[in-house]
Amino acid sequence: MGRKITIEPVTRVEGHGKVTIRLDDAGKVTQSRFHVVEFRGFERFVQGRPYWEAPVLVQRLCGICPVSHHLAAAKAMDVIVGAGPGKLTATAEKMRRLMHYGQMLQSHALHFFYLSSPDFLLGMDADPAVRNIIGVAALNKDLAVQGVLLRKFGQEIILATAGKKIHGTGAVPGGINKNLSPEERDRFLKGAAPLNIDQMIEWSRAAVELFKDYHRKNKDMVDGFAEFPSNHLSLVRKDGALDFYHGVLRAVDAEGRKVLDDVDYQNYLEVIGEETRSWSYMKFPYLRSLGKTDGWYRVGPLARLNTCDYIPSPLAQKEFEVYKAYTDGKPNNMSLHTHWARLIELLHSAEVIKELLLDKDLQGAKLVKKGKKVAEGVGLIEAPRGTLFHHYRINDDDQITMANLIVSTTNNNEPMNRAVHWVAMNALSEKPEITEGMLNRVEVAIRAYDPCLSCATHAVGRMPLEVTLVDARGNVLQRKVR
Amino acid sequence: MERLKRRRLRGVACDANYQLNVEDALACAGHDTVIFVDAARGLRRPFTFTEVRAAGSMPAMSHALGPEAILAIAAGLYGKTPDARLLAIRGYRWTLGEGLSAKAEANLALALDFLEGFLKEARP
Repeated sequence: MGRKITIEPVTRVEGHGKVTIRLDDAGKVTQSRFHVVEFRGFERFVQGRPYWEAPVLVQRLCGICPVSHHLAAAKAMDVIVGAGPGKLTATAEKMRRLMHYGQMLQSHALHFFYLSSPDFLLGMDADPAVRNIIGVAALNKDLAVQGVLLRKFGQEIILATAGKKIHGTGAVPGGINKNLSPEERDRFLKGAAPLNIDQMIEWSRAAVELFKDYHRKNKDMVDGFAEFPSNHLSLVRKDGALDFYHGVLRAVDAEGRKVLDDVDYQNYLEVIGEETRSWSYMKFPYLRSLGKTDGWYRVGPLARLNTCDYIPSPLAQKEFEVYKAYTDGKPNNMSLHTHWARLIELLHSAEVIKELLLDKDLQGAKLVKKGKKVAEGVGLIEAPRGTLFHHYRINDDDQITMANLIVSTTNNNEPMNRAVHWVAMNALSEKPEITEGMLNRVEVAIRAYDPCLSCATHAVGRMPLEVTLVDARGNVLQRKVR
Repeated sequence: MERLKRRRLRGVACDANYQLNVEDALACAGHDTVIFVDAARGLRRPFTFTEVRAAGSMPAMSHALGPEAILAIAAGLYGKTPDARLLAIRGYRWTLGEGLSAKAEANLALALDFLEGFLKEARP
């Protein structure tokens, strides 16, 4: 009798997704799919709202990286108010950068220490009851505490720049609504240990070393797990440097050949298409020049370190050189190396935060610029999980008439499906018994991409967790509630 | 939360988050009593006030955490187990951008009055 395995929801990711794996009578995998079962209606919700509300409204897409949506929408609105790329005041752009790099720090720290490190430090087959941050603390309390404090530091940066830790209002069309006071700056630069930026840099360096050490000891598994060739897409600075806040679109193929380069993202529709499939609410974006079949791509830390030429901060650049040397300068297509790339980005974020804190422009008084208003704008940003597209049109009454969002996780839709399929074929297919550890490997593959499937609302007592095994006729063979 | 702050209760610190997360364990570990407050579906009363204990095992969940998990992290990382309660206030409308309904406003007022009394009694 054929069987279907369902993992729902996928755990230690953001939001609600499900995996189905169909097995034939011999236990061989015949199909695997990663579904997103939440419907996100934000493109419709914002229609009719005044354009200046967008940066505040759309960030409610997410409780983890709201700053990405806040800033991507603000960048699109900058264009609409005639203060697009390069026209913001130095204070406004640097405050936004500080906010964004603070977010990268907190999100990457949360993902690695809280969501992913249990798989590495405790093992993918460890008892799920201990495969979590408390299990990590039992093994290495200092490490667990560092993860929490890195996240807290990033959140405090966001509070100081956006006004609130979650769903702030700092970025406004054409600028920012506050600068950084000397007191705030000094707290981050010279705060009592451990909450100061030098300590964050040191812990970020240690996190990179931790992963490198794990990699040295588990090279075959880390390199081979869900390794598959792909294209890679991200923003890069005009000169090819890694930049999370602004740049031009660049894509490379699995061999490193540039598929896109120096593309102004206002024209993203000319180079990116979106395909829909009946079994998922999430679209499947692709590079138009390569077509639907071959044009899918990865975004996020792995992709960013494949597309950029260098990292503009010394410690992260040094680590980048080690990282690139491992693949002889070629693109890295190993899914678990995303964690390595993410930790190098964590270090880079901490370095950039320090550089910005030392910049006197953050105490400037010129916060907002406006120019000639236009009816359409696109804002792009490199969110922690990858490239995030916001596109809006407005009418003569300043109301939003169209919104199109391509979120990072949507960009990674096909790669996550490929990663799930790799695990299904290599860990589950034709095995006499499906263990919890095997199912966790499916989640490990998805988790590497740190998907944010949506987390728009919450209330006490909501969020079921269920794993169901169903036969080909739909009969439930086994159900686990975690 | 703003309304609670306006009551200027001595020895009470307020923090508002979109969702609970790991660093909230650090804040919990630094206090004797912790009250988690949120809107709730499915209640029959205007509000409920219940004791919360650290989870025996961590739920394998997403970024968002429940109060029990936060307390478990506070115990696991900082060795602290504050007296904790959950104040769940009945809500009625959940649409994006909706303000509080009149009935939810009334429930909130009742819940805050109750909480103020509890906190005054709990004060050492």
